[in-house]
Amino acid sequence: MTKAANISIDDAVLVQQCRQGDSVAAETLIRKYQNRIYNAIFRICANPDDAAELTQDTFVKVIENIDKFEGRSSFYTWAFRIGVNLTLNYCQRNVKLGLKSLDAEDNDDDNEDKGVLKKFLTDVNLPDPAVVAQNRELCRLAVKALMKLDDTQRAVVVLRDIEGMNYAQIAEVLDIELGTVRSRLSRARANLREIMERMF
Amino acid sequence: MNQNEIPNIDELLNGFLDGELDARHQTEVQRLIKNDEKIAQRLLELQKCKRLVSSLPYTRAPQELLSNIKASLEGKKLTTPPVPPMQRHREREGARHLLLRRLTAAAAMIALAGVLAAVIYWVIAPVPAVEKPVAVDLRLQPIAPQPKDSQPAALSGVVETKSEVVATAEKPAEPALAETKFTGRLELKTTSPAEVAAFINKAIEYNIPSGERYAAAPGKLGESHTLVCSRQNLRVLLDELSTVWDKIDSAVLLVNTDQPQGQIVIDAVTPEQISEIAKQDDFQTQIKTAKFFAAMNNMTTLSPGKEVQVAIDNSTPALITIPKPVLTSSEKPVTTAGAAKEEQQVLLTIVVTR
Repeated sequence: MTKAANISIDDAVLVQQCRQGDSVAAETLIRKYQNRIYNAIFRICANPDDAAELTQDTFVKVIENIDKFEGRSSFYTWAFRIGVNLTLNYCQRNVKLGLKSLDAEDNDDDNEDKGVLKKFLTDVNLPDPAVVAQNRELCRLAVKALMKLDDTQRAVVVLRDIEGMNYAQIAEVLDIELGTVRSRLSRARANLREIMERMF
Repeated sequence: MNQNEIPNIDELLNGFLDGELDARHQTEVQRLIKNDEKIAQRLLELQKCKRLVSSLPYTRAPQELLSNIKASLEGKKLTTPPVPPMQRHREREGARHLLLRRLTAAAAMIALAGVLAAVIYWVIAPVPAVEKPVAVDLRLQPIAPQPKDSQPAALSGVVETKSEVVATAEKPAEPALAETKFTGRLELKTTSPAEVAAFINKAIEYNIPSGERYAAAPGKLGESHTLVCSRQNLRVLLDELSTVWDKIDSAVLLVNTDQPQGQIVIDAVTPEQISEIAKQDDFQTQIKTAKFFAAMNNMTTLSPGKEVQVAIDNSTPALITIPKPVLTSSEKPVTTAGAAKEEQQVLLTIVVTR
């Protein structure tokens, strides 16, 4: 079962209470989703401070517009949609202003990075996720590779592989067709692999 | 998922990795992996990428995020005490009322535009032409209201019916149009007005009973004769006048219509045409006949060589002779309504000018 599937069915009740001005219900909703939304935003924008600010803006917007939530989608995807849109707009703005994270602009020819990734990708056996997670260096390189992706491709990879959404939910969050999700995810993973290969 | 939705093997392999393929495609991918080492290798690489990304550590939101959000919301006064349901209901009612008002305003605007369009159409729409033939000028002329005093001075006079209207030579009674079947004005222009006027005076004197003619000083140029006589007497008079018609340079008949604003003007009118118009029993038929003659005479006048005149003359109603039935027995003819119709009165004013 994916993380996305672990959504309480009480969302509708909380939303209804929140609409009636129940601040406790609003707080419950925030507590419930703040970490997940923050994590996704952080993986897209790669800056913890910006991610915190974007997450805050996301929840303020969610509570402000709770009356406009029509219930055609789940509250979970609706809130993510607001968060991802804010983040992608922020990324576009930063690209225009030349403020892209310096981490992503690191020199690809770092010998240390090459060695770690080479070992990972050439290993015939599938690595144990727990082992991978423990390898901090490998994670750092993965983040680095991820940040070299196009913003929209990175968003679809984050929503699928980090947040664990299915294709339909991703289509809902990004407001794109299911086929577009499929092709965009395919291109994103292919690009990610090429980026990692170049980092050998 | 159908085959068309999977344009390349990568999408198929990614769908396989993500568990988004249906059973048929899953089987297909499994078969490909089994039979093709390259595809199997590709799947492995994609799987590694996926694992690498998904194994990234989960980052929790900062502790102060919730309080920041609440502070921000409080700053915007969004975490105020809950709005009472009744107030919310009233707000929705207000929104509905506003929508209704907007719709009403829109409907009123549309209705107003419709009325305005109708008024504009009424103002600028052309009046449909009434039986106006091509290339014919009926020359409907407005009748200026004539004061009673403006009747032709000494020679004029009008008698409606002998029992109802008393005519005087000085101040004639005004004829009632409704009771006369035909009302018109014949304007004659001639180079020898004295001779023509004298002839007309004499013809009137001989053919029209004194009670039906009104002329104070017959024979004077520019004076008019107003006759309210029977159709039979008028026909006899017109027959008489036809002998002097060759001395008339211009003969114009103005026939009054039931429309208050117009007359039918017939140029180059002939005595036969006047007689034909006057003899029509129905007023509308008189008008139709008058229009016909107006059109015909107009066309004849306008035609360069007047070639059609003969043809038209041969087809005019005036000259169409319907053979009368001949009595073959000793039976006496029965007096019909035709005789009574002959007694119906007509009103004609004749003016002679130079």
